[in-house]
Amino acid sequence: MPARTERSLVSRLLPPLVALAVLFLAVFLVNRVASPYILRVVTLLGISIMLVLALNLSNGFTGVFSLGHVGFMAIGAYVSAILTLSVEAKAVNLPDLPAWIAGTQLGFLPAILIAAVIAAIVALLIGIPLMRLSGHYVGVATLGFLVIVHIVLVNWTQFTRGARTFSGVSSLTTIWWVYGCLAVTIYVVWRIVRSPYGRSMIAVRENEIAAQAIGVNVLGSRLMAFVTSAFLTAVAGALWAHIVTSFSPASFYFAQTFNIIIMLVVGGMGSVSGSIIGTVLITVISELLRNAELGLHIGGITIPPLYGLSQIVLAVGFVLVVIFRRKGLMGDREIDLRRFFERKTHEGGAGDPDRPGQPKD
Amino acid sequence: MKRSLLLTLALVAALAAGSVSTAAADTIKIGGTYNLTGGMASLDVPAANGSKLAVKEINAAGGLLGRQIQFVLYDGKTDSATNGNIATQLVSSDKVVAIVGNTDSDSALAIGPIAQKAGIPYITAGATSPQLPNQVGDFMFLEPFGDNVQAAAGAEFAFTNLKGKTCWLLWDKGTEYTTLLAKYFKSRYTELGGKVVLEDTYTQGDTDFSAQITRLKALSPQPAVLYVAALQASDAGALAKQIRDAGIKLPMIGGDGYDGPELVGVGGTGAENVYFSTHSLMDASSKDAKMRAFIASYHKEYGRDPESAFAALGYDAVYLLANAIKKAGSVDGKAIRNALAVTKGFAGVTGSITYQPGQRVPQKTVTIVAIKDGAYTLGALVVPQKVPAP
Repeated sequence: MPARTERSLVSRLLPPLVALAVLFLAVFLVNRVASPYILRVVTLLGISIMLVLALNLSNGFTGVFSLGHVGFMAIGAYVSAILTLSVEAKAVNLPDLPAWIAGTQLGFLPAILIAAVIAAIVALLIGIPLMRLSGHYVGVATLGFLVIVHIVLVNWTQFTRGARTFSGVSSLTTIWWVYGCLAVTIYVVWRIVRSPYGRSMIAVRENEIAAQAIGVNVLGSRLMAFVTSAFLTAVAGALWAHIVTSFSPASFYFAQTFNIIIMLVVGGMGSVSGSIIGTVLITVISELLRNAELGLHIGGITIPPLYGLSQIVLAVGFVLVVIFRRKGLMGDREIDLRRFFERKTHEGGAGDPDRPGQPKD
Repeated sequence: MKRSLLLTLALVAALAAGSVSTAAADTIKIGGTYNLTGGMASLDVPAANGSKLAVKEINAAGGLLGRQIQFVLYDGKTDSATNGNIATQLVSSDKVVAIVGNTDSDSALAIGPIAQKAGIPYITAGATSPQLPNQVGDFMFLEPFGDNVQAAAGAEFAFTNLKGKTCWLLWDKGTEYTTLLAKYFKSRYTELGGKVVLEDTYTQGDTDFSAQITRLKALSPQPAVLYVAALQASDAGALAKQIRDAGIKLPMIGGDGYDGPELVGVGGTGAENVYFSTHSLMDASSKDAKMRAFIASYHKEYGRDPESAFAALGYDAVYLLANAIKKAGSVDGKAIRNALAVTKGFAGVTGSITYQPGQRVPQKTVTIVAIKDGAYTLGALVVPQKVPAP
């Protein structure tokens, strides 16, 4: 890998720093100029990208097709919301809380971190048995996990208000929180995928037996991906809870699961930039269509209101993507920032280290 | 990532351009938030149709304060995040003067706080949790009665009219509405001296209730009445059918979730001897001229009779707001709110609305509908003697 080692420190640090600066500027501009509605959509978009990226780490890069990630999102949302709720609000909404929780109110950051750590511990506990499974079995087993989380949320009335709406959460999530966490998420996922751990994850996805033969710890790689991904998903769940501010167990169930999976599949499983592009496209198209549902008057032509249009168009689009681009828009390719900075194409070929997701057959 | 960022910015710009309003400035904009698709659609679509009809009538009669009403109706898709989006959009981009909508507490709690923060009155057409105005704030109003009122009416009807001194209580623990309804019912029923002999639950989405029915059948002696809090008419129909199929013909009572053609559609003959509390009976031969006029104009507009009382609630919510705007003589949020808060004796299709000082849930008469030979008939009109605290 001569191209990589020859690169100077500056040229290695420059792309992420420039990207960070561009992101910073974009967030600053949106925050200053955009209407509250656009600001909200862009903020929710950031949270969706985090959810999709986190899911990609497990479903895309490691081949552990989890259908239960929304369960971790729910853990992130509920735990952080209980922790940030003011003592007075707790007394009204959750009168039966144990005294040690009822009397404490934490800041946003510690609440997010505690929620994410709890989700990671849960992921570790269920991951030890589940990550031994492969293929469709993982999907079914993780779906079972989602159902368990749902039932616990509905029945653990003392902490969750049961099926009733959990409301009164302060709207602490700002665009800065979301895009700050998103930048960290992108960096973490990008680095993991390019680390020896990431390579072993991809090796496990491509061929479990071959990976084992060359000494990759299959269970370890899968567990690492699953736990990291659960942690990031819970962070996104906590941010989601503090922008939506009222939710119930029904918010974290099949509908949400499929929303995230659709964004992932459209973008391309196994591509960081694919996750971002897929999520941006689906969010923006569905918002545009939702606004078009009201009907339009252009000149003399009147288009009647068509509620439900956005779901239909998105569903048809999803079917088309699956038929014509089965691997999603990006497949497992990446838009590599470094190419913008380096004019001369470095020697890569089949063993290109910057495209680790590419199958090498 | 840089390219995708540019893409994001371009798309955000497109979004901004797309959402720029093109409406004329001399209209009064009223926001509508209904879940026209998704799980709540069976209640929200009739309610939204009712609201649209009211706007059309007001505009045909010369509008409000000499201006036409523009009704900006968005679909919340039965999704909290989308409901938050549309509330933000109505408040900040469309700059509506007030919002009417929704028939469930989940959506009302997603929309209410955003309207509250913006200082815009929000009237929920059909969400019946009496806790809502206190959870959200002083800009939130309920147009229907609260669940404590209808549960108390159900309890008094069961205890006094049906003479049922013992009761089997079943509720869907999957939703806020059914959980609260059962809680309020039990509180009022035991206060009257009735005895709940067995409490049981199911979860939204269940289709087989044989376990609960077996436990009911095992009771000896059998209870005199059944109170079943179900979310939707289709659930209530399925429950009634399975209970009757098990040979239990006891009177079954429920709340306004039963109100819809699916109760008899799904329940068939099992729906006989079923009673439910609701906002009004959609009866074209009603003695009430307002009701007859509403049913006639709904039929003319949509080619069918109102599906449920929620159509009338959506209709009343717009007139209630229009009444307040007229009284306030302005479209200022605070002025409308203050006018709404002192609403007294407003005559709607679903009854008369008065807000007691400091209360934003109206006192209204509860209609008990009885199913007789597959038809929805008037069982009783109940003003509960005593109502459990919210």
